[in-house]
Amino acid sequence: MIYLLLFKEFFEIGLFSFGGGFATLPFFYRMSETYHWFATKEISQMLAISTITPGPIGINMATYAGMKIHGIPTALVATISLMLPALIIVIFVSKILKKFRDNVYVKASIYALKPATCALLTAVAIRLIKESITDIYSTALFALLILCFLTGKRSIIFYLTVSALVGLLCGIVIKV
Amino acid sequence: MKIKLWDIFKVFTKIGLILIGGGYVIIPLLKDELIDKRNWITEKELVDYFALSHTLPGLIAGNIAIFIGYKLRGKWGGLMAMLGISTGPFVCIAAIMPIIALITTSHTMKSIFWGVDIGVIIMIIAAVKEMWSSSVFDKFTTFLYIISLFLILKFKLSPTTIVISSILIGIIYKRFINKDSGETSK
Repeated sequence: MIYLLLFKEFFEIGLFSFGGGFATLPFFYRMSETYHWFATKEISQMLAISTITPGPIGINMATYAGMKIHGIPTALVATISLMLPALIIVIFVSKILKKFRDNVYVKASIYALKPATCALLTAVAIRLIKESITDIYSTALFALLILCFLTGKRSIIFYLTVSALVGLLCGIVIKV
Repeated sequence: MKIKLWDIFKVFTKIGLILIGGGYVIIPLLKDELIDKRNWITEKELVDYFALSHTLPGLIAGNIAIFIGYKLRGKWGGLMAMLGISTGPFVCIAAIMPIIALITTSHTMKSIFWGVDIGVIIMIIAAVKEMWSSSVFDKFTTFLYIISLFLILKFKLSPTTIVISSILIGIIYKRFINKDSGETSK
């Protein structure tokens, strides 16, 4: 039963991804490896398109992944399942608001969750570096972007635009 | 005056459609739509919801929307906000998917995505950097970062496993080992 499985998987992302849209990434890699609904190579493209299309990145990612599986019905289940834990949790938390934020257990959880989230995302970056930086051209582009990153605060749209333009240029000039 | 569920749905659909790039961008949009134009919530409530949304799982923008929907009309208001903010992105992605499938096979698009794949790495590194100073700031958080990274890379632990165990470790550490420090996170 694909819908039940989808529900379970996306509900799990909604329940355990802390820190917003990017925090869903490690879960999508895991999902791709376990179920092969979409290729791991596609996830970068999913993220890029999710960034430039309207809406919170996580919703776009869920819809995109759902669409890859069996079109609109699976996309609907994926998106709603991802959002459902938030609805349940927010309704619960709304009743206790302040008490929740000042709760020692909540504070202790967040304290340990944040470095773990950083580690999860670092692992994704390391994995992508291994997969994508394979020759002199990709190394050069990566070095260029790192230089931009180190020399100033830039928006994620900036990195997408520069890398897309360089890709386009490389395609014309050297046929990568 | 009771705010209509349909109006909650409409406002969040609009916000879902004009929000690009996720998370933080939603704050000025919400301020404009809900505080200045409609007077549905106060500035203080928005700040509270924003702060709380970071401590909860799920998408930040989604959490804020549901908080506001719930405040306005209870659980149905929350549901309307959730459906509203999801509708725009859902329709956009569903509509462009056939186009993406067509264009990504062309040589030009393959070249562009070759570059974008590398751009995405920097986006992720930038996201880590953004969180870094409020996440890894003392000996214990540094230790947690290193040990988590090691476990993920070496044993391929699932994100869910990492999240659940870090919550448990955080609680055990703060409850039994390092009780004195009052300030746990920045």
